[in-house]
Amino acid sequence: MSNITYGRDFEVVQRLKPEPITPEEARAMENLDPTDFEIFNHKMNMIGLEGKETTQKLGASAGMRWGDVAFGIYTAQGDLAICATGIWFHAALGQIPVKYIVKHWTGDPSVGVKEGDSFFFNDPFYCGVHGADMGLAVPVFYKDKLICFTGAIVHSGENGATEPGGNPSTSRSRYDEGFLLPPLKIGEGYALKEDIMTMLTNFVRDPRTLVLDIKARLAACRIAQRRILDVVGKKGVDFFLGGLRKVMVETASAAKKKVMELPDGTFRHPVFMDTVGPESSLIKLNVEVEKKGDTLKLNFKDTSPMIPDRPMNTYFQGIIGLTMVYLCGWFFHNLPANNALLEVLEWEFPPDALVNASGDTPTANAPFPQVAVCQSMFHIGAKLTYNYDHLRAVAPWYHGFGFGVYGGFNQWGEPFADITGEMNATGAGARPDADGLDVAGSFFATMSDCSDVETTEADKPFVYLFRNFFQNHGPGKYRGGNGTGYGIVVHKVPWIGIGTLGYGSKFPASVGIFGGYAASTSSVQFLRGSNIKELQATNGEAIPSNMLELYTNKPLEGQRNMTQITTPVGPMMEGDAVFIAAGGGAGYGDVLERDPALVVEDLRLSLITQWQAKNVYRVVYDEKTLRVDEEATKELREAEKRERLTRGVPYEDFEKEWLGKRPSQDILKYYGAYPNPSKA
Amino acid sequence: MGYTVDVDIGGTFTDFCGAQRGGQITLTKTPTTHYDLSVGFLRGLKELAKSFNTPLKKFLSECDAIHYCTTLGTNALIERTGPKLGIITTAGFEDTVAIGRARSWADGISGMENKDLARIMKPIPLVPRDMIVGVHERIDSSGNVVLPIRKDDVLEKLQYLVEKGAMGYIICLISSYYNPSHEMMIKEIIEEEYPEDYLGSMPVFLSHNISPKMGEYTRFTSAVVNAYIHSVMAEELSRLIWELKDNGYARPLILVQNVGGMKKVTRTRAILTYNAGPVSGLYGSRYLGDLYGMKNIIFTDMGGTSYDIGIVSDGQIRTYDFIPVIDRWRTNIPAIEVKSIGAGGGSIAWINRLFGNRLEVGPQSAGSMPGPACYDQGGTEPTVTDADLILGYLNPDNYLGGKMKLKRDLAEKAIREKIAEPLGIDVMEAAVRIRRIIDAKMGQEVFNEVVLKGYDPREFVVFACGGAGPSHALDIAPYMEVKKVVVSPFSPVFGAFGASTIDIMQVFDRSRMIKLFQYATQAYTEDYETFNGIVKELSDLALRDLQMEGYQPEEVKFALELEMRYGMQYNFTKVESPHLELHSTQDVMDICRCFEETYAQVYTPEAAFPQGGINIENFFLKASVPSKHVELMARELSGETPGPDALKGTRTVYFVNASKSLETPIYAFEMLQPGNVIFGPAVIEAEDTTCVINPGWRFVMDQYRQCLLEQVEHKTAAL
Repeated sequence: MSNITYGRDFEVVQRLKPEPITPEEARAMENLDPTDFEIFNHKMNMIGLEGKETTQKLGASAGMRWGDVAFGIYTAQGDLAICATGIWFHAALGQIPVKYIVKHWTGDPSVGVKEGDSFFFNDPFYCGVHGADMGLAVPVFYKDKLICFTGAIVHSGENGATEPGGNPSTSRSRYDEGFLLPPLKIGEGYALKEDIMTMLTNFVRDPRTLVLDIKARLAACRIAQRRILDVVGKKGVDFFLGGLRKVMVETASAAKKKVMELPDGTFRHPVFMDTVGPESSLIKLNVEVEKKGDTLKLNFKDTSPMIPDRPMNTYFQGIIGLTMVYLCGWFFHNLPANNALLEVLEWEFPPDALVNASGDTPTANAPFPQVAVCQSMFHIGAKLTYNYDHLRAVAPWYHGFGFGVYGGFNQWGEPFADITGEMNATGAGARPDADGLDVAGSFFATMSDCSDVETTEADKPFVYLFRNFFQNHGPGKYRGGNGTGYGIVVHKVPWIGIGTLGYGSKFPASVGIFGGYAASTSSVQFLRGSNIKELQATNGEAIPSNMLELYTNKPLEGQRNMTQITTPVGPMMEGDAVFIAAGGGAGYGDVLERDPALVVEDLRLSLITQWQAKNVYRVVYDEKTLRVDEEATKELREAEKRERLTRGVPYEDFEKEWLGKRPSQDILKYYGAYPNPSKA
Repeated sequence: MGYTVDVDIGGTFTDFCGAQRGGQITLTKTPTTHYDLSVGFLRGLKELAKSFNTPLKKFLSECDAIHYCTTLGTNALIERTGPKLGIITTAGFEDTVAIGRARSWADGISGMENKDLARIMKPIPLVPRDMIVGVHERIDSSGNVVLPIRKDDVLEKLQYLVEKGAMGYIICLISSYYNPSHEMMIKEIIEEEYPEDYLGSMPVFLSHNISPKMGEYTRFTSAVVNAYIHSVMAEELSRLIWELKDNGYARPLILVQNVGGMKKVTRTRAILTYNAGPVSGLYGSRYLGDLYGMKNIIFTDMGGTSYDIGIVSDGQIRTYDFIPVIDRWRTNIPAIEVKSIGAGGGSIAWINRLFGNRLEVGPQSAGSMPGPACYDQGGTEPTVTDADLILGYLNPDNYLGGKMKLKRDLAEKAIREKIAEPLGIDVMEAAVRIRRIIDAKMGQEVFNEVVLKGYDPREFVVFACGGAGPSHALDIAPYMEVKKVVVSPFSPVFGAFGASTIDIMQVFDRSRMIKLFQYATQAYTEDYETFNGIVKELSDLALRDLQMEGYQPEEVKFALELEMRYGMQYNFTKVESPHLELHSTQDVMDICRCFEETYAQVYTPEAAFPQGGINIENFFLKASVPSKHVELMARELSGETPGPDALKGTRTVYFVNASKSLETPIYAFEMLQPGNVIFGPAVIEAEDTTCVINPGWRFVMDQYRQCLLEQVEHKTAAL
């Protein structure tokens, strides 16, 4: 009987941990010489790297351009053994579509899995994050035996949703979110099926980019296939199968050892978010990690409920994926990234919670709650690792996104639909011994960059008004890194559609640790009917050079619309502008402990404002020479400490007062029961 | 009597290759004198003169040319000894270099380091933020002026930098690669305000001159790096030139450039001298390859801390899609790629306890100080060189020609305590594993480099250079899947030798998007003028430049390379253009076909997508003047059997490909004669290197004393 249900497969998405070792693999592992294995391991990683580089070289989407790419070698059962990427959630989630292929298509005579096939997928139910992430996998056969898969996943963006770019903030159900494909055979006999390709391109606004990206993935998979077959030809199938499995067994063992060294206990960090799409509203993600022995158990009890008609929901898999982003980048940084790392994780997701979407609920903005949970992991991780290696107890990078989405026809008359690369221009979190890096990238895509202005302008109808640091970091003994502020003017086309995505306009998206402050909240400014062209012709000096000038001494004229970051795509005419901030990193430690010399050095380099120096860091200095008055500074800081004590109240009093407070009902619409959503 | 001298400065030694016209070639090395490079330079010249039995002044006065691969610029960057500079940029983009496309923290560090996200750092800026000013001006992506520049604005910003003590100005404006008029205007304003006869006159660098390419970050960093090392290099080189003049050298000093050419010091941009030594070595391998009809070469140079690799394909050294990182700065100069892998004799072996005591080698290195444990300079970590000594490849009494004695007991102690005992194996087995792992890694990395450029390594010959290259080459070769290796007597000074084989050449590049096949209309372009105009502009520049070097237009050869892409791809594929000018649709189609063929070769035919449009993005016009190169003297071939004086004795050597120790004959390289043939197992000891001949390989010394090693018996397959 066919195992096809014409619906979702809830079983396969639970299989995130490695599949059981087969007897064949177990036998093969026993026979592996350790040096042969080390050489094999390096070779597999070389193949993975070649696959990743090839994919990136050939693709066309903004994600491909900036390096939002993962390339993997999967076992014949679908586990991801080798993964070349900086987008760590793919290391956890990239396996699900392959396991789906193994489960559903290998034995199905109407589809089948044969040499020369290729499968395409982007349904976030299987891929985990959102529909903009699209993947392709090919089976690799040796003498008619399926020995592994190769696959590539890239953020291609545009998928024909109600807004361009693949992340519609206005979607009311999953049917507004463009094509969402479970693994679909799109190629046979080493050729793409043109009828399928024609269908796919007919779904989207930018068919060229879709095709180039698909071909890029396919070429990389084929090259890796060739290399793998060469290895198998030399060393035999058993060696290959045993080696691939051993990579995973050793990874799991190493991960468990590392976790074992952390203190047992329960660690919590709730996150509050301020948007559910185009609407501002308060929601809560209650993240708890129980560390026991070699296991970290995630629990999300008392998280806000699923929202049936807002795209803020996420499948639980996405949360696991973003948890892995923290673990791979900041804790398991010296381990290979593959799904064997999940052997240390357990999880419990309440039914019908925002973080456990089901049914037809929209999930296009699922990355927002996913990254918010990851922000919690920075806090929980800092507490967990402080005694283990305090230099890894770092404040969160910026987590609130803050990027533009756009679509239309460019200055060459060609269709385009994508997102701005400055999503990767955020600040890093502060550290126990150093400031966070200014404009370090994106915490979940650390191999990615924010592109050049000139490169973007070459095929997008824009003129950037500015792109500079924005002093939006979280202050602290060590401050977070600054993000970027940028302004884009529509240029040389009558109009295009532009919107923005992100959160953290009202409630900070990245809060500080150990007394450090949160990174600034930020908003977006849409400027229609602007005076920019007039100023360019007559008075260039009146044009702001950065976000601070825009909001202080050089405001622009026109119809100004200040909005929360998530704003649906709307028409912008030639000369209209949008101003967006990529956020800063959070702070570490008390601002009053910051070395005054570092404060004035930041001032000299325009990395903080005079206001911040005086009112946040409490430093007294000569505004002309920037010489610090040490005595006066000490006095001012002592006074501030005394002032703090006068503001302080006993904890019982604080708790009593705090629990008596309640946010306005207007913003609790999607929150669930306040303060604990599950108590409804 | 005419001589040529080629010099390559390295971190530890300065290498010299002296040639007498039509005759003797002499090699020498002197310790690099970091406090003043000219000291070691002149010391080496004296040694060369001595080897030609000529006093230094006479020798230098008879020198036709001195070619110099210098690291002066690199040193200035590392030591941060450059001048205080000011940047004038487009207002609104003052933080461009500091933003560094966000990921500049990953440039110039190892993969292992850039995975440790809690500890990443961006490089310290060469120009601090308070020395960067923005002028109000803007040019769009088609070169149109959107916001005109104003002189008073420029003067105000200039005055600020003058008061801050700027000793040079770098002009970096958005879109100047397309329309440089504003950059040029700022230069004119500065020169008008501070003419050359004023003490306040300072050098002005325009970003579009240094790198006229799209992508402001790499264009700006190219200009900044160039400006930063410019004055240091100018000062040091003029001092060196005066010292050479004082010692009798009357000709111009010629600098080797990383674009694969040479130019007089006076007409060289500082940034183009970066990494010239390895590039020069690559050219040396091509020159020798030509002698034997070897068209495809993998050039390798294994030293103590790095393993450099470069590629010659079809007899050509091609420029690839290569964005070189200089120190920590990603630039965009048309340099030849010689990639450095962090592996060498100093790579440290260690036990990764997280992975059940897995043995790993590198990426950490003991470097040259303290170096391997056997150097007895304080190093206690087991390294590849220590393993080589244990396995019998190295002669402890003849390392660097006996200049350094190796301590076998220290090597053994390090390997025993740090590797063998934790793994429960003996020292010999530990050394075997260290060697196998490092050789496999190097071989696999090379394999990847070659295939990523679209070539099949099996069609290549390896040139094994550097002090450690010839002793590892045959164990690395199987991982690259090559069966022929060349070891040159010049191997230890191959960069210097390579400098003697380079032509006068310059690359003139420019970004300009031309949609040859248009996506919107599905038609070939009929605009030939844009293409022809750019090539004409670049060739005029080239002719002017070379005429100022003293060459006639008819001597100059041109070749055009184009960076192309399908539609909106981010990355480019470089192709050699079959045409220097376009006159018909057929010409356009020829270039498109050339691109499609190259693309399909590298990335498989399935990846091609001509319907998406085919663009040219960057032009590279190479202008060269063939030069006279060093001539190798052919010697008479003697018999295949080495003379008895060549055989120094035997010692026990472990051969990985035989999986056992063998009593092995040891030969003295100096005593081998052209025509000699040696079958492995054997070891050949030269003054600065050791050549290991594995069982199943044959060694032949040819009439030029070059050594050709060929696999004659196939052993086990390597991954």
